[in-house]
Amino acid sequence: MDMETTLAPKMTAANVNVFYGDKRAIEDVSIDVSREHVTAFIGPSGCGKSTFLRTLNRMNDTIANARVEGLIELDGEDIYGPAMEVEQLRARVGMVFQKPNPFPKSIYENVAYGPRIHGFAAGKVELDAMVERALVRAGLWEEVKDRLSESGTALSGGQQQRLCIARAIAVDPEVILMDEPCSALDPIATAKIEELIHELRGRYAIVIVTHNMQQAARVSQRTAFFHLGVLVEYGETTEIFTNPRQKRTEDYITGRYG
Amino acid sequence: MSDALRIDPTDWRTDTMRRRIRARYAAERRFRLAGLAAILISVGFLAFLLITMFVNGIGGLDWTFLTGSDATDPDRVGIWGAFKGSLLTMLVTIALAFPIGVLSAVYLEEYAPRNRWTDVIEVSINNLAAVPSIIFGLLGLAVFLNTMHLPRSAPLVGGLTLALMTMPVIVIAGRNAIKSVPPSIRDAALGVGASRIQVVFHHVLPLALPGILTGTIIGMARALGETAPLLMIGMRAFIASPPQGFTDPATALPVQIFLWSDEVSRGFVEKTSAAIIVLLAFMLVMNGLAIYLRNRFETRW
Repeated sequence: MDMETTLAPKMTAANVNVFYGDKRAIEDVSIDVSREHVTAFIGPSGCGKSTFLRTLNRMNDTIANARVEGLIELDGEDIYGPAMEVEQLRARVGMVFQKPNPFPKSIYENVAYGPRIHGFAAGKVELDAMVERALVRAGLWEEVKDRLSESGTALSGGQQQRLCIARAIAVDPEVILMDEPCSALDPIATAKIEELIHELRGRYAIVIVTHNMQQAARVSQRTAFFHLGVLVEYGETTEIFTNPRQKRTEDYITGRYG
Repeated sequence: MSDALRIDPTDWRTDTMRRRIRARYAAERRFRLAGLAAILISVGFLAFLLITMFVNGIGGLDWTFLTGSDATDPDRVGIWGAFKGSLLTMLVTIALAFPIGVLSAVYLEEYAPRNRWTDVIEVSINNLAAVPSIIFGLLGLAVFLNTMHLPRSAPLVGGLTLALMTMPVIVIAGRNAIKSVPPSIRDAALGVGASRIQVVFHHVLPLALPGILTGTIIGMARALGETAPLLMIGMRAFIASPPQGFTDPATALPVQIFLWSDEVSRGFVEKTSAAIIVLLAFMLVMNGLAIYLRNRFETRW
């Protein structure tokens, strides 16, 4: 994996194993997450790409029998180490889920929730500004600015997903993890999310899990191909898609299994 | 070969087909009638009860009755003492059973590890909800009166005893309500860095509250109508003045009804019915309040 990066990677994982009970879901994965690129995780269903994504902000902690081994660092800090508060980690490494999951609260409250629990805003004016900025960055402001008090769940699916992105952005994360963010959306909403990912690139390190190879090719600069819990190949997206080094990658990309 | 490929359209007009459809319609009709009959039976009994009570008791509902306390003369008895006793008892019950029940439900659903101990606790709580109330009365007698030496016949002890009985109902309803909050909401809150307590208090409990309140209504309604455990802890005494506080001797509405129904004097028949009307009205107001609260929380967004 020869990657010439000018900057140190944002996150690094070394020899990571994830177990669900006795079953090993992730085997010995080592990977660097670039700070200025979009990284895509691709692979067939059940290959462990989502599982691995969720180790990056310790969402797997909520699963009773899940166990993570190995070292994962965020800017050189061990995220499973005793000095790392998991709440702080999840604010720094935000997450967007497969199914849009806005809180059953107003649009404003959805975005304001993160800044509020972390005490970012000194007052109402500052909080308003934070909510507006997050919604602008998520490309939703123009559509919702006149109805911030309406319920977030009343928005369309694509809007809900952008609201979830705004909610993640509102706490100024350093990394945004997206777990198949478009799988529940129609092509037009998907295109909007992909456009948004382009705009957010560079400001945040972005990792996106997708089962849609065209999407990986469109939005990412780095692609990691997972199969049966193993990281088969990781490299420049153009390389992976035009000139894969592994036979298994080539077979998957050309649609021989999936 | 050509046989297997031939497509015969179904002939829906044969006698067999028509008979089949007629039988199906008849089954639909029979089911509707059976359902209606079932409803009518329960509504009929309720109407019979209400009408009988009103006819017998409405004459006994006057100002003296509503403001007085127990007496030996049926013309001078009143319900206020028992009403106040019930009110104080219910206050103690809800003040204990609601927070403890909800906390237990939250702990069991959100915090407790799934292992043999929590299985044992779960089975115990489910069994506790099914224990006959007289047993709780005996427990109250043994623990609160004989061991802790709390005052006999007091709403405090009655409330404590009924709280023990109501708690499992609230725990079970609370757990079901908490379980029905979608995990995606928890993920969403954890994903922006909320702690587990914040997830519970900002998201899970507000969403589960309507369900928790439904369980609380059921539990409280049962506690309000409960007689047997109160007899065990001495709330059956003849109390001629309304209780002034939680530790004063008192009786409760259902106990008062039970006591009056036992009186030989004819005048008490009317008073018993009148007391039942007051008990039903109390219950309706209490349930109405809880339903109002539930709807308020449900339509908040």
